[in-house]
Amino acid sequence: MKIRFLLPLIFFILIGLLLWRGLSLHPNEIPSPLIGKASPTFSLPTLLGTKATITEKDLKGHVTLLNVWATWCYACALEHEYLMELASHKDFKLFGFNYKDDNIAARHWLKEHGNPYEIIAVDVTGTTAIDWGVYGTPETFLIDKNSIIRYKQIGPITQEVWEKTLRPLVEKLENEA
Amino acid sequence: MVPELGHFAIILALSFALMQFLAPIGGYYKKENLYFQLSYIAVIGQFSFLWFAMLCLITCFMNNDMSVSYVQEHSHQLLPLLYRIGAAWGGHEGSLLLWCLILSTWTLAFLAFRRFVPPAPLSLQRGVITVLGFISAGFILFLFATSDPFRRVFPTAPINGDDLTPILQDPGLIFHPPMLYMGYVGFAIGFAFAICALISGKLDREWARAARPWVVMPWGFLSCGIVLGSWWAYRELGWGGWWFWDPVENASLLPWLSATAFIHALMVSEKRNTFKGWTLLLAIVTFALSLLGTFLVRSGILVSVHTFASDPTRGLFLLSYLALIIGGAFTLYSFRIKHFYQAPTFALFSRETFLLINSVVLLSAVVTILIGTLYPIILDSLNLEKISVGEPYFNTVFLPMMLPLLLLMGFAPHVSWGEQSIAKLWQKLRLNLILSLLLGLSLPKLLGFHFHWLACIGISCALWIVLATGQYVYQLKKSHQLVGLQHWSMIVAHLGIAVMALGITVTKSYSEERQVRMNLNETVTVANYQFTLKQLNETQGENFKSITATFLVQKAHQSPLALLAEQRIYTSHEQSLSKPGILANLYRDLYLALGSSLPDGGWSVRIYYKPFVRWIWAGGFMLLLGGFLSLLSSIRLRGKK
Amino acid sequence: MKKAFLTLFFLLIPLQLVFAVEDEYHFNTEAARQQFEGLTTELRCLVCQNQNLAESNAALAVDLRTQIYQKVLSGQSSPEIVDYLVKRYGDFILYRPPFKLQTLGLWLGPFVCLIFGLFYLIFYIKNQRRR
Repeated sequence: MKIRFLLPLIFFILIGLLLWRGLSLHPNEIPSPLIGKASPTFSLPTLLGTKATITEKDLKGHVTLLNVWATWCYACALEHEYLMELASHKDFKLFGFNYKDDNIAARHWLKEHGNPYEIIAVDVTGTTAIDWGVYGTPETFLIDKNSIIRYKQIGPITQEVWEKTLRPLVEKLENEA
Repeated sequence: MVPELGHFAIILALSFALMQFLAPIGGYYKKENLYFQLSYIAVIGQFSFLWFAMLCLITCFMNNDMSVSYVQEHSHQLLPLLYRIGAAWGGHEGSLLLWCLILSTWTLAFLAFRRFVPPAPLSLQRGVITVLGFISAGFILFLFATSDPFRRVFPTAPINGDDLTPILQDPGLIFHPPMLYMGYVGFAIGFAFAICALISGKLDREWARAARPWVVMPWGFLSCGIVLGSWWAYRELGWGGWWFWDPVENASLLPWLSATAFIHALMVSEKRNTFKGWTLLLAIVTFALSLLGTFLVRSGILVSVHTFASDPTRGLFLLSYLALIIGGAFTLYSFRIKHFYQAPTFALFSRETFLLINSVVLLSAVVTILIGTLYPIILDSLNLEKISVGEPYFNTVFLPMMLPLLLLMGFAPHVSWGEQSIAKLWQKLRLNLILSLLLGLSLPKLLGFHFHWLACIGISCALWIVLATGQYVYQLKKSHQLVGLQHWSMIVAHLGIAVMALGITVTKSYSEERQVRMNLNETVTVANYQFTLKQLNETQGENFKSITATFLVQKAHQSPLALLAEQRIYTSHEQSLSKPGILANLYRDLYLALGSSLPDGGWSVRIYYKPFVRWIWAGGFMLLLGGFLSLLSSIRLRGKK
Repeated sequence: MKKAFLTLFFLLIPLQLVFAVEDEYHFNTEAARQQFEGLTTELRCLVCQNQNLAESNAALAVDLRTQIYQKVLSGQSSPEIVDYLVKRYGDFILYRPPFKLQTLGLWLGPFVCLIFGLFYLIFYIKNQRRR
C-alpha cells in the first residue's frame, strides 16, 4: 500500500485526537498575561474601615487573595458563602475588589451577608480593573509576599477549587521568603 | 400522553433503523429477496415514526406542556404559536430529532424517486440503503440515549417555561435550520454511494449518473440554507453584518466547499470515466465535514453564538461515532483505492486539469477554514496560549484564495476535454478578459463611486464570469447545439457565484455607517440619505414591549420613505433586542438600528448604507435554482432512455 | 489622495454644521475615526466572546471602547494601543493573531497547502503521462 493512500486516514486520526483533547479544555477561560509579573500600580478608595485609600504597596509582605466581586454578579453571591468560611483561615489576607458597583448597595450587601474581606478597594469606573485584566466577575488573584501575581482563578472559588488548586498554592507561597 | 407516544415512536424508529441496516446483511448472506424488501419497509416505518415523533414534539409545544423538560427550557406561555412550532427544533434535542427526520426523508426520497432519475443498479441501491440505515441507527441511538426531547420532569412541574432566546424568535427559525440540515444530512447519500463503490470495486458512468442528483440537491439546499442563515443574522443581530466567520458558520461552509469540489469531480467521472479515486475521497470528506460541523455545534468545544448547551458525554458519543463512520470509511478507502487507480490520459492543459485545480483550490479553502477554526484548540491543547482567530484573519487568508477560483470559472467551460491549445483559448477569450478588466476598473468611477481596489477586483471577476459564460452559450447556439438543462444548471450556478462575488465586494467596499445620538426631529445624513427621527411610540407585542422609532428617509428630489426600527424588551427575562429597520431595494439597503436610550432623552442610533447587499443572498438562491435544474436534467436523462 | 480628501472634508464642513447631530464617538479627523473603527472591529470582546469591541454592549466592552477612544484622541498609534491591551488581556483579545512562531502554521499553512497542491498536481500529470 502506498503511503499517500493512508494520508486521509492519518489526517483524520490527528484531527480526531485533537477534538478529543479539546473536549476537556475550557475555551471561555482566558489566562492572564500578568502572571509572574508585579501587581499593577493603583490607588483606590476603600469601601469600609479607617484607611481611606489602598495602593499596590499594601499588598507587600504577605500572601494576598484579591477577590473581584460586585453585588450585581450572580456567581459572586454563590461564592460569598464559601469566602465567609475561608475568612477564618489565617495564612493569607483576603482583599476585596468591588467592581463597577454602587457603594451603598455594596455596604448593604456586606451587612446582610457578612464581610469576609480585610479591606475592600472600590473601582466604580472599572478603569483600574482594566489594568488588572479583569473581564468578568468573580475573579481572584493570588499575590505573593513580593506582590507578584502568581495565579488567577476565573469563576467562583468553591470548596473543590480551594482544596485542589488554591490551598496548595497558598501554602507554597507562605513558605517562600 | 403525547410525550410518551413520541418517546415510543423514537424507540420504534430506532428498531426500524436497525432493521434497515441489518436485514440487507442477512439478505446478502442468505441470498434472499425477502430480506431486502424488509429493509425497504424499514425505511418507510422509520420515516413514519420519526415524523410522528416530530409531530408529537410540536404538539407538546403547541400545548405548552411544561412537564416536558425540553419544552420547559425553550417555550413560554406568552411565546407566539409560530415560534412555539419553530422552537421544536430550536434547541439541541429537537434539532437532533430534525437531523434524524431529514436523514430518513432523504432515504425515503432515494427509494421513491428511483423511477424518475437515472437508477442505480439494484445491488447499489441495496447497499446505499444499508449504509444509510447504519448512519441513521447511530444518530437515533444518540438521540435516544443522550438527548431525549420527551424527557419529563416530575413531580414538580414548573408553571412557566424559560422561553426561547429572543434572537431565535424570527421567521428565520422556521426555514433556516431545516434547509441547512437538508444540505448537511443529504450528503450521507453521496457518502453511502462511495462506500458501496469502495466495497464492490465498481465505479462507472452509471454510478456517477445515479449519484449526481443526490449530491447536487443537498448542495443546493445547503447553499440556500447558508444564505438564509446569513440573511437571518443580518436582520437579527443589528450590526448590518451578514457573515461573522463564527465557528458555526465556518462549520456550514466547510462541507459546502468540499461538496462543490465533489460535484465537479463527479461530473468528470460521469463524462470521462476518470478521477475515480478523487471522487470517492471527496464524497467521504464532504460527509466527514458535515459530521464535524454537527460535532462542533453540539460538543461545546468552541465558543460560538450558535452552540447548544454543551455536555461532554454528548461530545464523546458523537466523536466516537464520527471515528467509527469516518475512520472506517477512510480505512476502507486506503485499502481499496488501488482498484480505482488510473494513469491520467489528459494533457496538462485540458479541462480535466482545470477541474483538478478547482478541487485543489477548494480543498485548500477547506484547510484554511479548518486551520482557522481549530488552531486555538491546537495551541490550547499544547498548553501554549489562547488566541482568537476571527474575521481579519479570514479576510486576509481566505478571500485571496477565492480569486483564482473566480478566474478559472470563466475559462473552464471553454476548455476542451483531453487537450486544449493555449493560443486558441487566449484568442477566444482575450476580448472578454480585457473588457471585464477595463469595465471593472472604470464602472465604479462612472457610477460616481470612489476608487476601491476590492470593488474593482470583484466587478471585474463578476463581469468576466458573466461575459465568458455568455460567450459559451452564444457559441453553443451558433453551432446549433442544444443548450441542455445540464448546461443551464451550470450556467445558473456560475452566474450565482458571480452575483454573490459582486455583492460581497461592493458591499465591503462602499458600505457607510454612522453612530450618532439623536433626539426627536433631528436629522443625520448618511450616503446622501437624510434620516429624520420623527416619532417614538411605545407598542405592545405578544410577548414583548417595544419602543418603535419612526424615521423619515429622504434623498434629494425624492419622496420621503418611512423606516421603523424597534427596541424590544421581552417580558419573560427582560431581555432587550434591537430590531433594525431596513429599507431595501435591488441596489442598496438602508439599515437603521436603535441602540440604548440616553439620559438626556435622546437615542443612540446606528445607520448603515449597504449597497448591493441583497445580491449576496440572490446569488445563494441562484445556486439552489442551479441544483434544481440539474435535478431536472437527471429526470430528463431517465426519460430519454 | 490625501489632498483630495482634505478638500472634500472642508467642503463638507458646512453640511456638518447644518445637521449638528452628535456622533457617539466624535473625531476631528477622518484618519482618527478610521483608526478607532479599525481597532474596535479587530479586537474581541472578552465578555460576549463572539462579538468584537465595536459591536458588544457588555459593560467591559463599553469601558474598553472609551479607553481606546481616549487613546486615539490623545494621538497614540494603533500598535501602542494594541500593546496596552495585550499586556492586560493577552493575545486572546486580538481577532488577528500576531505573526510569530506559534502562529506560523496558522498564517502559512493555507498557502503552503495551496502551493504544494498545485505543484504536486502539475508534477503528477506530467510524470504519469510520460510513462
